[in-house]
Amino acid sequence: MMSAEFELSRNITIGQYLPTDSVVHRLDPRFKLAAFVVMILAIAICGTYVGNLFALAICIAMFWVSKIPLHYGLSGVKPAIPFIIILATLQLLFYGEIARGGTVYFQYGFVTISSESVRLVLVSAMRFVEVIFLSSVLTLSTSTTELTHGMERLLGPLQKVKFPVHAFALIITIAIRFVPTFAMEMEKMMKAQASRGADFGTGEWWRIIRRTKDMLPIIIPLFNVALARAEDLILAMEARCYMPGASRTQYTHYKANGKDYAALIISIIISVIMLYIPW
Amino acid sequence: MEKGLTVRRIVIAGVLGAIAILLGVTRLGYIPVPTAAGNATIMHIPAVIGGIMEGWGVGMIIGLIFGVSSFLNATVPLFKDPLVAILPRLFIGVTAYFTYVGLKNINEYFAIGAAGFIGAMTNTILVLGMAVIRGYMTFGVAATVALTSGLPEAIVSVIVTLAVVAAWKNLVKAGKQKSKISG
Repeated sequence: MMSAEFELSRNITIGQYLPTDSVVHRLDPRFKLAAFVVMILAIAICGTYVGNLFALAICIAMFWVSKIPLHYGLSGVKPAIPFIIILATLQLLFYGEIARGGTVYFQYGFVTISSESVRLVLVSAMRFVEVIFLSSVLTLSTSTTELTHGMERLLGPLQKVKFPVHAFALIITIAIRFVPTFAMEMEKMMKAQASRGADFGTGEWWRIIRRTKDMLPIIIPLFNVALARAEDLILAMEARCYMPGASRTQYTHYKANGKDYAALIISIIISVIMLYIPW
Repeated sequence: MEKGLTVRRIVIAGVLGAIAILLGVTRLGYIPVPTAAGNATIMHIPAVIGGIMEGWGVGMIIGLIFGVSSFLNATVPLFKDPLVAILPRLFIGVTAYFTYVGLKNINEYFAIGAAGFIGAMTNTILVLGMAVIRGYMTFGVAATVALTSGLPEAIVSVIVTLAVVAAWKNLVKAGKQKSKISG
């Protein structure tokens, strides 16, 4: 299926938003982002079995609460399963010496399997799945506009220390806006090159140098096209007298209500529970 | 160069950030190599180019976008850790910028190439370093990966960076830059 290699636009799943009008969808994006960050931090720190099982259950419950079918989350995990297994096996076999402590189950030469290394492996796998589920719920229940606005409002106080919040949000918006455009450009270029006899993607997977060399006629024009568009956009913005750093009012207003605070408090409680379970 | 985030810097950061995201999402930025890291990448190159062209602020922002995109799109458990995926990437553009500025007076092309190399090595060393610190791989494995996919990545980075920045700087010097207001 040669054409599938060229159809890049199909893979752009940024801002894959699933409008199911659930409680989670209607939450204020600032609170959603804050709750997300809190839980991600807790997941990154928590290293216990029961803590991670609890987190896993919560993540699965999130899908149910936001009325998003679980298979969206699973489709994020599925391509990673071979990696998880390989990495887990490698960690299990060769990592035992580093993760000292705990009872040693098996020792042969430099292969050490201890209770600590088993825990590390299982916890890493669980953490991975949890993060995928959580980020899937966030992106599936919040449109990209909402996410950018939420981030901008959340970072708002940083304006006091001269951190350019609005400019930063604008950069993110520009980046997200241009991704599908560049995907199309790239597709055009790949097809144009291929129709003139260029030969990429057909090198065997192990012929690294060849594959790299084949990518150069695509990558470099991509940058040139992107920078040409950048020049156009700069001209357009300045022609409309855009002044970065000028104080601005905002078009959309978010009013926080009880549900938003409740969501944030619940996420904090969950994180605290996760971190204090001792097993 | 004016201080601070001019319109020029905002747009270039956004555009190069878009390329970083695109290379990750469409898997074009990955070249499969038979090492423990799984893939050699070219996704750090927008951060390097942004750093050289528009300064360390832009380089840091593009690095952040690259890091977050890498974090969200990762299939390898290694990159699901924000400290490994995001934090090291902030410095790619920064080191590239300082390398370029430091060597600019010797020879422009050499400075650009060196910045490309240093930026790529920053990515490799810091990411693998964080991976070792956080316990995802042993030091030995990390060192092997650094050499087997880090060095080729750095070489590709030099080539692409030189091609893009040299072409772009020539355009700027010849006055083909369209807007004369900022930058």
